[in-house]
Amino acid sequence: MERKRLIIGVMLAVICVWSLGTQNVRAAEPIVIGVATSLGSLEGGESLKAVQMAVDEINAAGGVKVGGGTRPFKVESIDLRDSDPGVPVPEALLGLEKIILEKKPTALLVGPFRSEALTAGMDIIAKYKVPLLGTIAMSPASEAKIKADPQKYKYVFRTCLNAVHLVQFLSGTMAAINKQFGFNKVYIMTQDVAWARGTADLVKKLYFDKSGWEVLGMESYPTGASDFSSALMKARAQGVQVIMPVFDMPQSGTLVKQWNTMKVPAIMAGFISPLAGSEAWKIFDGTIGGVLNTTFELGSAMGASKLPASIDFMNKYQRKYGKEIQAGHGPAPSYESVYILKEAIERTGSLDPDAIVAGLEKTDRRGAMGRIRYDGVHQAVYGFDPAEMSVSLVSQWTDSGKRVVVFPDSLAENTIQLPAGLKSLK
Amino acid sequence: MFAGTLIFALINSFILILLAIGFNLTFGISGVANFAYGALYIMSAYMSWTLLNLLHLPFWASAAISIVFTMIAGAVMYRFVLLRVRGQALSEVIATFGIGLSILELFRYMGLVGFEYTLPVFWNESFMIAGVYVDIQRIAVVVIGLMLVVGLWLFTHFTSTGLAFRGIAQDERTALTFGIDSDRMATLSVSFGAGLAAIAATIIIPLGSIAPNEGYDVLIKALAICIIGGLGSTGGVIVAGFIIGFAERFTDTYIGSHWTMIVSLAAILLVLAIKPSGLFGHQKELEERI
Repeated sequence: MERKRLIIGVMLAVICVWSLGTQNVRAAEPIVIGVATSLGSLEGGESLKAVQMAVDEINAAGGVKVGGGTRPFKVESIDLRDSDPGVPVPEALLGLEKIILEKKPTALLVGPFRSEALTAGMDIIAKYKVPLLGTIAMSPASEAKIKADPQKYKYVFRTCLNAVHLVQFLSGTMAAINKQFGFNKVYIMTQDVAWARGTADLVKKLYFDKSGWEVLGMESYPTGASDFSSALMKARAQGVQVIMPVFDMPQSGTLVKQWNTMKVPAIMAGFISPLAGSEAWKIFDGTIGGVLNTTFELGSAMGASKLPASIDFMNKYQRKYGKEIQAGHGPAPSYESVYILKEAIERTGSLDPDAIVAGLEKTDRRGAMGRIRYDGVHQAVYGFDPAEMSVSLVSQWTDSGKRVVVFPDSLAENTIQLPAGLKSLK
Repeated sequence: MFAGTLIFALINSFILILLAIGFNLTFGISGVANFAYGALYIMSAYMSWTLLNLLHLPFWASAAISIVFTMIAGAVMYRFVLLRVRGQALSEVIATFGIGLSILELFRYMGLVGFEYTLPVFWNESFMIAGVYVDIQRIAVVVIGLMLVVGLWLFTHFTSTGLAFRGIAQDERTALTFGIDSDRMATLSVSFGAGLAAIAATIIIPLGSIAPNEGYDVLIKALAICIIGGLGSTGGVIVAGFIIGFAERFTDTYIGSHWTMIVSLAAILLVLAIKPSGLFGHQKELEERI
């Protein structure tokens, strides 16, 4: 009898301990963050790493306060492959739906690479009510959708730069070139994708056409194109002074190589993704001196000494992964988005998607990109002063292989310098 | 600008010829449509990059080792996979496509994606030709492309292996009666085709970058050129390379860059509508295919 009681007592104790343990495990059940993007792209890959870095920091500090306890974040990822030429949008959308259904994330981060995939994917996000903090796709078409039906599409936020804000920075750079050197003949070359075409059209409409510039030509190239000789010859023949490229594909590096070897007498100023990182100098054999390139978000590939948080973020990334950030678009907003999500959850104390959306709308954070707030259509507000808004920057490669910030004035370390062989008209 | 367009069209044509000539050689001799061709091209480029950047070997040594390794990989692929399905066209296509897919997706899984994956140019200089600066690497594409075409012709006409290749290509059964080992020749043809892909990668990759996607692109371009020219015809590959190469650059210059792909595809459709076997295709006839 005694023995029976003892066995029953031990069993009960084991059950109690197991139950308590289960409760603890349940209490510590992670909050799943889904990273669904083109992981094979440099931007997507480094964005995932930036998300993981922020998650590790948050978990090490105790996790996310929600429901009277704390819970860690957990990252689940899927490769949408939508940056690859030839991958149709429906294939990317299948991946987006798969991660939502299989991993049941509380929120999605980074999001589709191509704007075409994001815009179409918004219906899936609305259907499953999973908040998305996008950090790569840039077309304002997604904001137009939110504006048209805010109740349905309210789950979509964008922390990275969008094409409209990029237009401000490109126009500002062109205005500085015009003011310093008197140049006003431009040739525009873009990738044939929604955000790049949209950006170029807006710069033309809102700046070049109104400021007396002569647009000598506009060419758009399919993703994967790797010979730009025809446009460079046309530009040269028409007396081009400025070439404005807008590309995010690896092959766009060939444009810079051809610009250099064909000795086109024009300053190159715009966005070419392969030129963003510090390793570009070595990759391009030191032939990119004088090129002006836009870093979409401060802290992605380049920080500014005038905003120490951007340098801190880059240093932390380098310490963790042993390599500097090379993508000029994605990593910084991806890192910040994790903290933005944490703050939104803690602000409302709930994991309910509608509550998270309400929490996200109240975001006001100071981080690696400057001050982050969302506007009425859930786009992070970008401007020229990091104390007030998130900022991009324009840097110029020097002939000694360094990048110097030349725009905006609040971050500038120097004025724009003319590449060797070019003469100012002033 | 016309002269400049002519020059870059010529260069573009030789790039396409270089991309297709290995695929064509293999098909012309063994009848195997090697759908792993693009993957072998990229594999050789990654190998050169690794030897150059991680083992710090000289560029030429890295390139030579990669070419030899790719040739061995081609031979191994034939001996251990294709030999078992020889003569079953669909199985050959599925097997080679599967191998190619595995290689390319393995590179993607390994994270070999980024702007740093490229090979150095031979000489970083450019010369003025007809009022246009052209870099030496592009001139090298034309020169080496010409040398390869001529070299291949000499090889298939004046060496015993080359003559055996032609024998197998013309009539395998008759060639067998002359003591030519058709399996050995087919192994060599896949190996040589892979080697030509590796040579093309060594010359062309310095103009751009190495990426898994390029493998698919190379395969599609090689297929397009071979189909227009007529599968298995070297002369066809050269003519088709010039047609597409010139169509692309002239469209780019005089119509618009976003029309380039459409005009190229229209050229393919036009040729196939007029001559379904391709310009020099003799698949249905027992004629010389090299």
